[in-house]
Amino acid sequence: MAQLFEGLRVLELARHVAGPFAGKLFADYGADVIKVEPPGGDPARHEGPHKDDVPNPEASALFLHLNTNKRSVTLDVEAEDGRALLRRLIDRVDVVIEDFQPGQMAEWGLGYDVLSRDHPDLVLASITPFGQSGPWRDYRGSELTLQALGGPLHLNGSGLRYPLKSGGYVAHYHAGLAAAYGCALARLRVIRGGAGDWIDQAVYEAQAGFRDRRTVYTTATSYTGKVSKRQPPGTRPAMGARPTADGYANIYAGGTKHFPAALDMIGRPDLKDHPDMQKPMAVWSEDFAAEVEGSWMAWMIQRTKREAVADTQALGMLGGAILTTEDLVSDPHYRGRGVWDTIDHPATGPVEYPGRQLILSETPRQAPRRAPLLGEHTGEVLAALQARQEAPRG
Amino acid sequence: MADVQRPLPLEGVRVAEVTVVWAGPHVTQLLGEWGADVVRVEPTNRVQPYSRGGERVVSSEVSRRSAEQGQLLSAFPDFDPGDDPWNRSPAFNAHARNKRSMSCDVMSPEGREAFLRLIEHTDVLVENNVPITVERANLTYDVLREVNPRLIMLRMPAYGLGGPYKNYRGFGTHVEGMIGHHWLRGYPDGSPEETGEAFTADALAGVMGAFAITAALTHRERSGVGQQIEMPLAESFLPILGEWILDFTMNGRVAQPQGNLHRSHAPHGVYPARGDDQWIAIDVGTDEEFRALCTVLGAEHLATDERFVTAAARLDHRAALDEAMAPCTSQWDKDELFHRLQAAGVCAGAVHDELDLLASPQLAARGFFEELDMPGVGRHRYPGMMTQWANTPNQIRRPPPLLGEHNEEIYLDLLGYSREEYDALVAKGLVGFGHPESVVPRTWK
Repeated sequence: MAQLFEGLRVLELARHVAGPFAGKLFADYGADVIKVEPPGGDPARHEGPHKDDVPNPEASALFLHLNTNKRSVTLDVEAEDGRALLRRLIDRVDVVIEDFQPGQMAEWGLGYDVLSRDHPDLVLASITPFGQSGPWRDYRGSELTLQALGGPLHLNGSGLRYPLKSGGYVAHYHAGLAAAYGCALARLRVIRGGAGDWIDQAVYEAQAGFRDRRTVYTTATSYTGKVSKRQPPGTRPAMGARPTADGYANIYAGGTKHFPAALDMIGRPDLKDHPDMQKPMAVWSEDFAAEVEGSWMAWMIQRTKREAVADTQALGMLGGAILTTEDLVSDPHYRGRGVWDTIDHPATGPVEYPGRQLILSETPRQAPRRAPLLGEHTGEVLAALQARQEAPRG
Repeated sequence: MADVQRPLPLEGVRVAEVTVVWAGPHVTQLLGEWGADVVRVEPTNRVQPYSRGGERVVSSEVSRRSAEQGQLLSAFPDFDPGDDPWNRSPAFNAHARNKRSMSCDVMSPEGREAFLRLIEHTDVLVENNVPITVERANLTYDVLREVNPRLIMLRMPAYGLGGPYKNYRGFGTHVEGMIGHHWLRGYPDGSPEETGEAFTADALAGVMGAFAITAALTHRERSGVGQQIEMPLAESFLPILGEWILDFTMNGRVAQPQGNLHRSHAPHGVYPARGDDQWIAIDVGTDEEFRALCTVLGAEHLATDERFVTAAARLDHRAALDEAMAPCTSQWDKDELFHRLQAAGVCAGAVHDELDLLASPQLAARGFFEELDMPGVGRHRYPGMMTQWANTPNQIRRPPPLLGEHNEEIYLDLLGYSREEYDALVAKGLVGFGHPESVVPRTWK
């Protein structure tokens, strides 16, 4: 059966997380993705963690994960002959993903206006911190600062402490995904007979449109003039993250429609007769809130995090255990569903990776291929380019 | 290039959704933004769980008090739940632009009939219910493809259509716990109770779902066949944690809560600025940037302190560095410092709340926010599109729909119901424009 992106040709001229994640989404589902790297390689190759913590551009977890199923070509875009070669590569692909500073591609003679003149079908995606226009266009941005400016960072953490960044490179993964969505949309239009386009993806704007609370609360602020604030821990009785016998679980019991059943479960059916039961949690009396919370905590601590979740799920409550990476990788649910891919690599040996996000009934995903060695495919890609040069364009 | 055509890419694509909470509606929001005709299928004879906020509507007084405490989920326009709070939920209205609303209870025989007729006219169906609900309703892909073999159906339960957690219920915040993200983003010296809840999984799954559907539509252009896409929230989020997962599978290291720490940068954190709960994020990699930071802060004593002169030394002494920086940054207005640091080549960003975001000159210059007039709700600004296309100007085409707002045009014009058939559904309470008191008691009044 065909892959989802069978026949699609993508050139990835991008580094680190956002652009490479966009490229990976196409590569993992069947596109031919050529990753153009500078002679020293994508900086992600030099960022840890590396295998056994020994610096090695072929053994970076970040790089290996983000570049599965791609081919690597090394090419010096700073040099004129490198750019000439790049131009020829671009003419042969459907989608280009780049992440240089605004104006850099145009300065190299590779701006959208130039590229699209002979290739109106081209889809070019440019991923930058703040976008191709506006007063902050040339500002620097990183995961931390873009979450701070654009995303809900002010709301992460405890009201009694400093605000927290969200985990890992989530803003850059999200922006890469948003850019990939733009590319897929533009490609669909091309296939239906329309033109390509230049997709301008700012990480900042992706954060401003982030549906992790940002758009919801910005709408609420627009309605009321009030802003969201970090809350002290334990603000909502019997609701949220609490300790268990072996870690933590985040369960919604207090004030929900399952709350009476939860009170039965924890051996406090007497509380069901309290007058506050009929009121929203926000107006519960302190005494009632303390009774609920104390009984709930006592019940939670007697169970493991997974037991607490299983018992409350059986009653229809929302919840989840707070797992570590070790818990996650050993969890029988995920293991049984086959979410982990074992991928062999000369620098690491076989290692388990997070695999597919999608199970597709008509276009199942291929077995994964490891990330390329630096410049591993330079020879074959340039030879194919040469061969095509001698044949008419097709 | 005068002859090139640049319509919105999903023009002519019809999407139906039977979705709840945030992740499913986010997928269809993104499809609607790029041209799809999105029909939201939602009952009026019962409450669609965690969608328009009909479960427990709070009074105006509680809405105001909660908002003043910084809790905005019940922040109705002007704190007023009105007579129709289901049309006034900020959480719902934040995603519902470009959608039409059709009242239909797919669990009733009449609703099922209408829904199956809709599926005949539909390219894409999005649902994010607990799998057992879809099975009980007998609306699985096998059933629906008989009605429309070109249908693309996205199913996005929390954990999958199979496996021990198949019917586990969870919001994005619970899913982020179950895949290791909640643990990772905590305070390095704190407990997950202090981390606060985030709905990151909804944000990622929404875009991933829209991406997958667009790819499946592209594939259908060639093959002519639709397909089922199974995309559990948890699994769509796993790659976001790839490097942390590989550090465990490759090195046996269990990721610990990261807070604002960086592997190699210091200072890298959120520092106090002038005022109550005001902060600035600063991210310094090189020695040159650090010297520039110290110059702007007027903190030459830090630039020459031997604990801080090299990147390696700063990393070793980052706690001391953070402590030494706080008194310097707290003298500054966060935005003034942000611009001064950027001018000096230092990567910094003020920590912006929603009012700051609404006032951002960058977003204003790019036209990010859009004003929409919703009947009964009034004119308000809403977050716009998170991606811009250079040659395809795009704006929100219609405001969020009132519950059942498009019943007539969908039942009569699209599905071909006669006026008599339609009136009969209204008389039975299966089609309507609001929840009757028997379904949503007016406790907020």
